Amino acid sequence: MSDRRIGVYICHCGGNISDYVNVETVRQAVANEPGVVVAKTAMFSCSDATQQEMIQDIREQNLDGLVVASCSPKLHLPTFREVARRAGLNPYRYTQVNIREQCSWTHTNDHAGATEKAVRLVRAGIARTNLTDPLQPIVIDTVPAVLVVGAGIAGLRAAVGLADLGLSVYLVEKSPNPGGRVGGLGAMYPHGKNGRQLIDRLVGEVRKRELVTLFTNAEMVAKSGTIGSFNVKIRVGGKAPGEISVDVGAIVVATGFDNYQPAAGEYGYGMDGVITLPEFKKLLDGTAGELEYNGRQVKDIVYIYCVGSRQQGGENPNKYCSRYCCNAAVHASLQVSEKSPRAHQFHLYRDVRTYGKYELMYNEAREKGAVFCAFGRDEPPGVASGPDGKLVVTVRDLLTYGEELAIPADLVVLVTGMVPAANSGLTELLKLPLGQDRFFNEIHPKLRPVETMVDGVFICGTCQGPKNSSESVASALAAVSQGASILKKGYVELEPLIAEVDPQACDLCGDCLNTCPYSAIEQDTAAIRINSAQCKGCGGCAPVCPKGAINLKGYTDSQVKSMIDALLKEI
Amino acid sequence: MVQVNPGFIDQVGQAKTFNAAACMNCGVCSAVCPMGIELLPRKLFRYVLLGVEDKVRENSATIYSCLLCKMCEVNCPAGVHIAENVRTLRYYLYKK
Ligand SMILES: Cc1cc2nc3c(=O)[nH]c(=O)nc-3n(C[C@H](O)[C@H](O)[C@H](O)COP(=O)(O)OP(=O)(O)OC[C@H]3O[C@@H](n4cnc5c(N)ncnc54)[C@H](O)[C@@H]3O)c2cc1C
Ligand code: SF4
Ligand code: SF4
Repeated sequence: MSDRRIGVYICHCGGNISDYVNVETVRQAVANEPGVVVAKTAMFSCSDATQQEMIQDIREQNLDGLVVASCSPKLHLPTFREVARRAGLNPYRYTQVNIREQCSWTHTNDHAGATEKAVRLVRAGIARTNLTDPLQPIVIDTVPAVLVVGAGIAGLRAAVGLADLGLSVYLVEKSPNPGGRVGGLGAMYPHGKNGRQLIDRLVGEVRKRELVTLFTNAEMVAKSGTIGSFNVKIRVGGKAPGEISVDVGAIVVATGFDNYQPAAGEYGYGMDGVITLPEFKKLLDGTAGELEYNGRQVKDIVYIYCVGSRQQGGENPNKYCSRYCCNAAVHASLQVSEKSPRAHQFHLYRDVRTYGKYELMYNEAREKGAVFCAFGRDEPPGVASGPDGKLVVTVRDLLTYGEELAIPADLVVLVTGMVPAANSGLTELLKLPLGQDRFFNEIHPKLRPVETMVDGVFICGTCQGPKNSSESVASALAAVSQGASILKKGYVELEPLIAEVDPQACDLCGDCLNTCPYSAIEQDTAAIRINSAQCKGCGGCAPVCPKGAINLKGYTDSQVKSMIDALLKEI
Repeated sequence: MVQVNPGFIDQVGQAKTFNAAACMNCGVCSAVCPMGIELLPRKLFRYVLLGVEDKVRENSATIYSCLLCKMCEVNCPAGVHIAENVRTLRYYLYKK
């Protein structure tokens, strides 16, 4: 028997749960479980009224454990922990059981089965709650400083934003000059402003702020510590080389992208007159009058879109769309119309993705005479040399009724996409996860777009995925708010549900050391220790210990065993 | 394989009265044409914009069979001055 006093609440969730699960049957089945003194159903457990009722029950019935069987803990675990806290009950004595996603929504055609499963899950939750101990969150004081890696437009803007919130910033740039790719651009879409000048202004803003220290020719070479309190070593090259050690509370990675480099022969790359979009953009920005290439006047230009993006096959295809390139190519086309009004321009595309207001540029390009032809993904255009030193591009144009066209060209522009920058050293150092596209991976593209699996390390700009400059800046500002929201408070609270070593049982064999993906297990001659700020509570180490000396708080071996017993119990 | 001749676009375009840039190839014009001319004006405009001179010449009889009734023009969602364009093309063909 149990001497615990546990309250159990089974939620209807309107009808989301009770349309499929018989909540009253569940209530009756668990009301006499060991430790249960209150068992109720509720229409909406998360409503103010029910929360109030729970608080009253906890106080009046002297409850020391709470179970709510409702929706996913992702949604309401924090809600009900807070209910416990308000009633004076330790929040870690609360257990959430998910009978919506796991029962009613999954077994809509089997009401009896859904109900039986719910009974078992709630019993397991009660069993676990019987063995809960009060726990306190791990509190870490934070250093009011941020390391920003990469001084492209994203990194620069993040530095300014963080400084304006009163945080010190160390801005580390690998190359001799800040600015990244935008620093090399002339007129940019959609505003026509000059990229170099934009960057000069931004660097001016950075220099105005005493809180920002900019290191160029510099790289981060070592990192230790955890969220709120990292120690970072920066190696500075150039005229006065050396190594600097700084303490920061968070790290913002803004290391940008590389341009896709076509292979020799890919769409004729390597032939005279076949160039990539960045090469073409350089040519355009450097030309005042009529466009010339290698001393020849450029009259006919063919653009081939999606080169290096949206690939179908081959080894490690870049399946993603690079987002910026349709717009940049259409914008380049408008620049051509201005410099060489008589030039003919043919855009061979797969889909025109001039999204949002950029559609206006697309319309303008067409009005200025640019012709757009669509090719199918299985029939890419071909590039060959033609008469009079010209190139000839052949394409089956889906907009001209599948007619195969031969278009003469002085220049063929390969509209190349973005690829992740080569940065294996940094990836290794920060243990940053990569996505399928091999850019740095966020936790969730919409809900948590600048946070990573590594607490306190944020990503922004094109190192996370293709973006244009304004999108890069938007994500930089998101990283500013996320970073500052931790550091301005002065401390972070981490979940105490982490591994714990029983020094009595541990014989220092060290088998656990390599099991931790977060390097949270440390050994010296006297003991094995878990770094409480680094441990994520994944539990990977616990089953490996031959002595059973490692337990995961909140999910101890005895708790897990009791849950299994409860799940298997006769109904 | 049809040959694109960018020079042809310039010659037709010189008249300044030919403008089909706004045409989005929707086909409303062909659908309402009382003569049931399949080529006109949708396909024809595409050939002109691209500079496929051969296709335009091949079809000069068709271009002359247009009634210039403007049934297409009043229905064109992109506001293309279809009749004016057809007239420009006739002028061009005649001149050559
Ligand atoms: C041809 C072309 C035309 C474009 N035109 C436009 C346009 O008209 N309008 C528009 O909005 N966008 C345009 N873009 C897109 C724009 O360039 C990007 O959105 C922008 O550069 C992204 O900024 P970023 O800071 O994320 O990355 P980047 O500009 O790549 O900057 C990253 C910085 O990080 C540094 N770095 C990398 N690794 C490290 C490391 N390990 N340690 C320290 N520093 C490091 C790099 O040296 C670089 O300075 C264009 C892109 C191209 C290729
Ligand atoms: S933006 Fe356009 S050119 Fe670039 S990958 Fe996407 S669809 Fe292709
Ligand atoms: S109706 Fe107008 S937009 Fe549509 S195909 Fe005909 S000319 Fe082009």
